[in-house]
Amino acid sequence: MQRSLFTATAAAALATACLTAQAGTVTVLTSFPKELTTAYQKAFEAANPGIKIEILNKNTTASVAYVRELPEGQRPDVMWASAPDAFEVLSSFNLLQSAPEVVNKSAPAKIGNYPLNDPKGMYYGQALAGYGISWNTRYLKAHKLAEPREWTDLLKPEYFGHIAISSPSRSGTTQLTVETILQGEGWEKGWAQLLEMMGNAAAVTDRSFAVPDGVNNGQYGIGIVIDFLALAGKYSGYPVDFVYPSMTAVVPANIALIAGAKNPDEAKKFMAYTMSVPGQQLLFEPKIGRLPILPYSMLKAPAGYPVPQDIAKRAKVQFDSQLSGARYPVVISLFDQMVTFRLKELQAATKAIHEATRALKAKPNARGSELLAQARSLAYTPLVGAENVKNPEFLELFRKSRRDVAVSKQLTGLEQMWADKARANYERARDLAEQARGLAK
Amino acid sequence: MHLNKVSLEARHISLSYGSTEVLRDVNLKIEPGEFFALLGPSGSGKSTLLRLIAGFNQHQRGELLVDGQDITGTPPHARNVGMVFQNYALWPHMTVWDNVAFGLVERRETKDAIRRKVSAVLELVGLAAYAQRRPGQLSGGQQQRVALARTVVIEPKLLLLDEPLSNLDKQLRVQMREELKNLQRKLGLTTIFVTHDQEEAMTTADRMAVLDKGILQQVGSAAGLYDFPVNRFVAGFVGTANLLEGEVTAVDGEMLTFRAPGVGDLTLPRPEVPPALGAMALAFRPHQVSIRVCDEQVDASRLWLSGRVESAEFLGEFSRYRVRVGEVAMVSDQPHYAGLAMFAPGAEVRLGIEPTQVRFLDR
Amino acid sequence: MQAAALRPGTAGPGPWIAFGLILAFLLLFLILPVGTVIYTAFVNEVGGLTLGHFANFFGQGVFRESFFNSLWVALATTFFASVIAVPLAYLTVRFEFRGALLIQTLGVLPLIMPPFVGAVALQLIFGRSGSVNLLLDDWLGFTIPIMDGLVGVTFVESIHYFPFILLNLVAAMRNIDGAMEESALNLGARGWRLFRRVIFPLAMPGYLAGAALVFVKVFDDLGTPLVMGVTNMLAPQAYLRITSVGVDDPLGYVISVIMIAFSILALWLAARVMKGKDYATLQKGGSALQKRRLTAWESALAYGWIVLILLVTLAPHIGILLMSFAKVWSFSVLPDAYTLEHYVTVFADANHMIGNTLLYCLLAAGLDVVIGTAIAYLILRTQLPARRWLDYLASAALAIPGLVLAIGYLRLFKGVQLPFTETPLVGTWVLIMLAYAVRRLPYALRSCMAALQQVHVSLEEAAQSLGATRLSTIRRVMVPLMAGGILAGFVTSFITAAVELSATLLLASTESQAPMSYGIYLYMQSISGRGPGAALGVLAVVVVGLGTYLSHRFVERSRATVQAKQEG
Repeated sequence: MQRSLFTATAAAALATACLTAQAGTVTVLTSFPKELTTAYQKAFEAANPGIKIEILNKNTTASVAYVRELPEGQRPDVMWASAPDAFEVLSSFNLLQSAPEVVNKSAPAKIGNYPLNDPKGMYYGQALAGYGISWNTRYLKAHKLAEPREWTDLLKPEYFGHIAISSPSRSGTTQLTVETILQGEGWEKGWAQLLEMMGNAAAVTDRSFAVPDGVNNGQYGIGIVIDFLALAGKYSGYPVDFVYPSMTAVVPANIALIAGAKNPDEAKKFMAYTMSVPGQQLLFEPKIGRLPILPYSMLKAPAGYPVPQDIAKRAKVQFDSQLSGARYPVVISLFDQMVTFRLKELQAATKAIHEATRALKAKPNARGSELLAQARSLAYTPLVGAENVKNPEFLELFRKSRRDVAVSKQLTGLEQMWADKARANYERARDLAEQARGLAK
Repeated sequence: MHLNKVSLEARHISLSYGSTEVLRDVNLKIEPGEFFALLGPSGSGKSTLLRLIAGFNQHQRGELLVDGQDITGTPPHARNVGMVFQNYALWPHMTVWDNVAFGLVERRETKDAIRRKVSAVLELVGLAAYAQRRPGQLSGGQQQRVALARTVVIEPKLLLLDEPLSNLDKQLRVQMREELKNLQRKLGLTTIFVTHDQEEAMTTADRMAVLDKGILQQVGSAAGLYDFPVNRFVAGFVGTANLLEGEVTAVDGEMLTFRAPGVGDLTLPRPEVPPALGAMALAFRPHQVSIRVCDEQVDASRLWLSGRVESAEFLGEFSRYRVRVGEVAMVSDQPHYAGLAMFAPGAEVRLGIEPTQVRFLDR
Repeated sequence: MQAAALRPGTAGPGPWIAFGLILAFLLLFLILPVGTVIYTAFVNEVGGLTLGHFANFFGQGVFRESFFNSLWVALATTFFASVIAVPLAYLTVRFEFRGALLIQTLGVLPLIMPPFVGAVALQLIFGRSGSVNLLLDDWLGFTIPIMDGLVGVTFVESIHYFPFILLNLVAAMRNIDGAMEESALNLGARGWRLFRRVIFPLAMPGYLAGAALVFVKVFDDLGTPLVMGVTNMLAPQAYLRITSVGVDDPLGYVISVIMIAFSILALWLAARVMKGKDYATLQKGGSALQKRRLTAWESALAYGWIVLILLVTLAPHIGILLMSFAKVWSFSVLPDAYTLEHYVTVFADANHMIGNTLLYCLLAAGLDVVIGTAIAYLILRTQLPARRWLDYLASAALAIPGLVLAIGYLRLFKGVQLPFTETPLVGTWVLIMLAYAVRRLPYALRSCMAALQQVHVSLEEAAQSLGATRLSTIRRVMVPLMAGGILAGFVTSFITAAVELSATLLLASTESQAPMSYGIYLYMQSISGRGPGAALGVLAVVVVGLGTYLSHRFVERSRATVQAKQEG
């Protein structure tokens, strides 16, 4: 008897499973956290009875892979994420569909110098975000640290072991942050800054979320995060604060219609909603904490809420997303090989350099300073030169498919070489720094 | 309850497990309404034969006929042969009532019919008051009665009992023996039961079959097997026997001469059919061997042998003496009376064998 | 008593059909997916066999590192779990000890909290700025980085998995005949030497069984390292490759093959060492090891050790409970303020997840006990050739990490559609349910086998002799008598499936399909989701705890029924 009950339940459930994902359902593929997606889902469904929103939560890189693997007609309807690069990749594979009618005419065409929507018209800005530094007030107080203001502040020795960042290869937003610094300071100087900053890092996390999370609960003192994650924490009651350094960019979070979607018409309704006044108003919710694309004159912003246009005006960087996209695979791979997987050695080298610097400050020594300079150069120079990274052939290599055993082998070989070289460099740097310190007597 | 009496016939039944032969060319006919025992030591194949009749084993050769029909291919649930297992196999999750009603439910009988029949059979075995109890709450004897009731209520063609009494203590065993016999007589069912205890078989069975190592040794009534065993095994298994090995050296009219090594030549009356000359064993029962002190007056009608007492055991009803005659050890049982002195080990005595009770076994 | 010898013709088609169906199920949902994974690891893009992918794998530093890290963590966890479990086992079996009940509780508590749920709470208690370290830093001026990186993973896994060793070891030690010890004493060995030379070797098979299981589970675990942000281990690497590079990435498969190989190796080694050493020597009428009394000093030490372990083991449970009620908990020993709103959120937004978990896990557990009972029946009650293979195949699932099975499904069923619809199979919850069922089957099978072994075959033969067909006998006699064991197997399947994360992460696509485990993971990925995530975690623990308790009751009750029968 129990068995027949089971079969009945199973049959009913299977039938229900089949009935979902038909007309009346819009599937949204997004990396946004639950607070945001639930809020939009509820609001949209309330305003549009008869349409159901189905959320597929995947991080950006997984989303791209996911869409690429599905045949037409089986794909999710909407792609909604922060990183424009994912959209570039999808667009380049012809996986996006143009839907210009969803764009809200009241939104500005540019934010700072950056176009709000894709010039090719494949994806559209839905919200804005900047990158910056967040910190845990209690942590800093307990460790007697000053609140940072600029990226360069993070290079200071007192922040050693207190910083967290997520790997750009795993987090689209971090990749954008890294690119912002590289574009702002230039390839060589930007890398030097990044590497020295990363020398102070406590962890390079896998998901971008782990950084603001760690800062929120006091695991890390300082995090390099996208603004809304920090702001959401702050407005949720966590003892955290956030600052936009001057070397920042305000970049849109995008929404796009996927080519070969199951339910394009209703999907467009959803997309339009996100850019409408009620949809934009949702962005102010404390747990969401994002910047809207519509001017504040049209919306009811909470007091003291950051104004995107002002930040964009202040920002020193005019973000070039083409450049970002072109060297994306090189940048993320280089970062991983030099920082993510070599963190221990980098930290050791940086620690030695800090100590040597301190020692030499107290007791200056010419030879020591020379060694120290060498150490710094070894530790903080990127393994790919500025010229090389502009070389189109070099960049092309990274775009090829890894399934090809030969390509895979070549790329793996290159990455292995970077890894080995980085380790060697850091160890040598550490030796030199220790020597330098030894000389400061 | 009136049940059909059916016959059972086994023809050339052989069964092997892999290379081991468990039953070898067994031929047996059981008459309708008989209470029949399968007797033998462990490993003799008696249980296998019983399970074969129930359908839980399959023979490779031969036929099995119930009431003239060969049931060889029939699955157990279609044979309508009731079996009571050694451990009773009562279902612990059902009440006594449900246990007994099981077969009737299986046959889709009506509720009324079930109620009627189950009540009747519970009355029959005297357990009507226990209908709602669980098997775990019953004694061994009660459990057995439930098992019986359960089997009998479906009006089977045959009743099979697998060592029905071996799980009971001695007192209970005797009591249950009687009850079983009475029940069988009342119902008139052809019943086959398996036992290794020859006393059990002898007291209850109408006829019995003795098996050893898968081969049927002898079939007959208890007295028939006891008094006229056909071979050494039966002689030794059904009751205790003294076996004197030797050879028949001469047959002369009504007498024959038997030479037993280490004992000497004995002259005794020959059996009905004169045996051939050559190897033979004499078999005679311990209680038929009298024992006297050497110089005492002896009864001339007996055959007297000299020997020495090796051991003496006092068993209450009788004393058992092991006496060495020549190279052979013999057993003599003497009825005991208070005041009767026992022979001590080492005593020189003479054993007297009753010639008419001696059996000649050539195998 | 021998099982009924079946002549062809009298067996009927029933057993053969059952055999065929079960074989088909195992082939389709276990063998083929795993086979696909193994095959893909050895095939290049034009379809030829190659070891190139393996060469690539071992050629890259990060993968070599992941491999050794996984190995190291698994071994270290086994070691630390032993360190925790062995003294506890000894205390339980060896001494007259009222704390024995505490130890029994210890044996169960960690198992009801899945490690990835506990890991988050442990961060708040043992993390860099967690309660313990804050206190240590304040009072003593130093901190213990016990939650960092690989050490953190080892820590979390050790306190979760030590019960496997504890329970197995206690059972093995309880089976040692006291006479063994007495003769050793008689010959002059005592104390530590006695333990080392006699008791522990005799209990070794039990220890090894537990240790091998711990090794395999830790080696294959995806959820814990992922939640803790540790990616330089094999399972997270495979997950990352498959999700970011795609289901075609060969390196993900290479990793899967390595994981399978090591799991099989560990299980095989353990079985090998245990072969022929079934040391259950307790004879009828024999008694177990003598129990001794503890001196006051020893008693204090023992209690101290147990209380310490208890506190550490309870830390995740307490942590999750606090988190579920905490308004804000940051850089402080305890939360700032408390609230019920997280539970409200969960019941408002996430009750479909609870429903999903119930649906998938009930179905999976149901499937498991049906198949488990069928296999047990085929093995113990029929003479079908090759029936033992069903047992081997089903048990092979033990060595397959959930992650690998999921990868296999994604690859094998790519493009396959649910019959009569246009929905791709990989987008439905059916595969999630099947992954749960397949991976839990070995445990359900063990329960069903044990349950059937307790049912004397004469009980079924009696039914048959009374006219019940095979099917009727199964329904009226066999299954009711197995009920306790079947229920226990059902519950075990259910509660382990309810907190499964590895396969779920890969197979669950939409949020509306998400079961509780995936829901907890999702919640933990958002800023204000910690609270609701913890609340959901508490609910999961309650479900599992309740299930474990019920399972024990069922087994006890069925044991009582069988024993009552035997005493009659």
